[in-house]
Amino acid sequence: MLFNPVSLLDKRYLITGAASGLGKATSILLSKLGAELILVDIDEEGLNDTSKMCSSNVIKVIINLYDISDLKAKIIDSVSKFGKLNGFVHLAGRPYISPLKSINEKTTTEVFMLNTYVGIELAKICTNRKIFAGESGSLVFISSVYGLVGSAANVGYAMSKSALHGVTKSLAIELAPKNIRVNCIAPGFIKTNMLQKISDSFNSEYNDTLTKLHPLGLGEADDVANSVAFLLSDMSKWITGSIMSVDGGFTAQ
Amino acid sequence: MENFLEQMAELFEVDSVNLQDEVIAFDAWDSLTGLSIIALADDEYGITITVNDILEAKTIQGLYALFNQKK
Ligand SMILES: NC(=O)c1ccc[n+]([C@@H]2O[C@H](COP(=O)([O-])OP(=O)(O)OC[C@H]3O[C@@H](n4cnc5c(N)ncnc54)[C@H](O)[C@@H]3O)[C@@H](O)[C@H]2O)c1
Repeated sequence: MLFNPVSLLDKRYLITGAASGLGKATSILLSKLGAELILVDIDEEGLNDTSKMCSSNVIKVIINLYDISDLKAKIIDSVSKFGKLNGFVHLAGRPYISPLKSINEKTTTEVFMLNTYVGIELAKICTNRKIFAGESGSLVFISSVYGLVGSAANVGYAMSKSALHGVTKSLAIELAPKNIRVNCIAPGFIKTNMLQKISDSFNSEYNDTLTKLHPLGLGEADDVANSVAFLLSDMSKWITGSIMSVDGGFTAQ
Repeated sequence: MENFLEQMAELFEVDSVNLQDEVIAFDAWDSLTGLSIIALADDEYGITITVNDILEAKTIQGLYALFNQKK
């Protein structure tokens, strides 16, 4: 057999946000690399779509991630049927474009819950010895260039994404004795539904401006998926607590 | 309606607004205020609007109609 150091054969991961965008592309790639997957999303139709495009063994879990207690019960149930997990990728998330003066507590709290706290809760559940496979442990969070640099009308989103950087580093230390690695990818703008939704509220000039922010142009979902595969695989076995910029050069300038 | 007028006064940074006030005539009108109106529409009225919709609505009255019509 050909040498393939990113092979994920015999590995199992949970993927949130698997129904769309980056989560969908990531699930399809990991499945091609041999990983078995628990696909998690609130969008049943999208999950069906993703699971049809996966070539390995996958199971679907339809859940609203705001419901933390349901999350734990459903993961335990899936793992009992499926086998223990090597890790997860938390790709579910939502944008929150709002200048300071229209920001409100309810939405900000929801954004923090979904983008950040759910990631902590997933780490808690998936590193428990009843769930964790005990080897090749790797957790991947997805933040954003706006967790690293500032932009107007983005304070709520920036809070949720920059918080993930602290989460990544502190969990990397806490979980190192268990040999579980924890890393975070900070993507630039990728052509997905989320970007579509954001740019719909602006004009075409905005899209040009966006493209110019990326020396290598806008990204594709696979650019993030490839980095996830690397961070899950044993190729990155000495990498933990890192924030990987996958942004076409956005934050290099 | 009263609640809506209070929200507009807050975003345009004035004590109170009138229905016939023009959006772009407020001193506080700029692209960020436009985004604030978009965020408010999404958060509290569950509707998606664009900066162009706001400019076409023209007045506070127009915005009120926009918020309550486009569902
Ligand atoms: N697309 C980009 O340009 C970009 C850039 C930087 C970071 N990101 C981040 O990458 C991640 C994925 O983004 P995307 O562009 O693929 O977004 P997307 O909107 O295409 O996908 C997000 C997925 O999360 C799911 N989801 C949302 N709320 C949920 C909930 N309460 N319970 C369960 N599932 C829920 C949605 O159903 C959807 O399938 C997000 O965290 C986003 O912040 C995206």
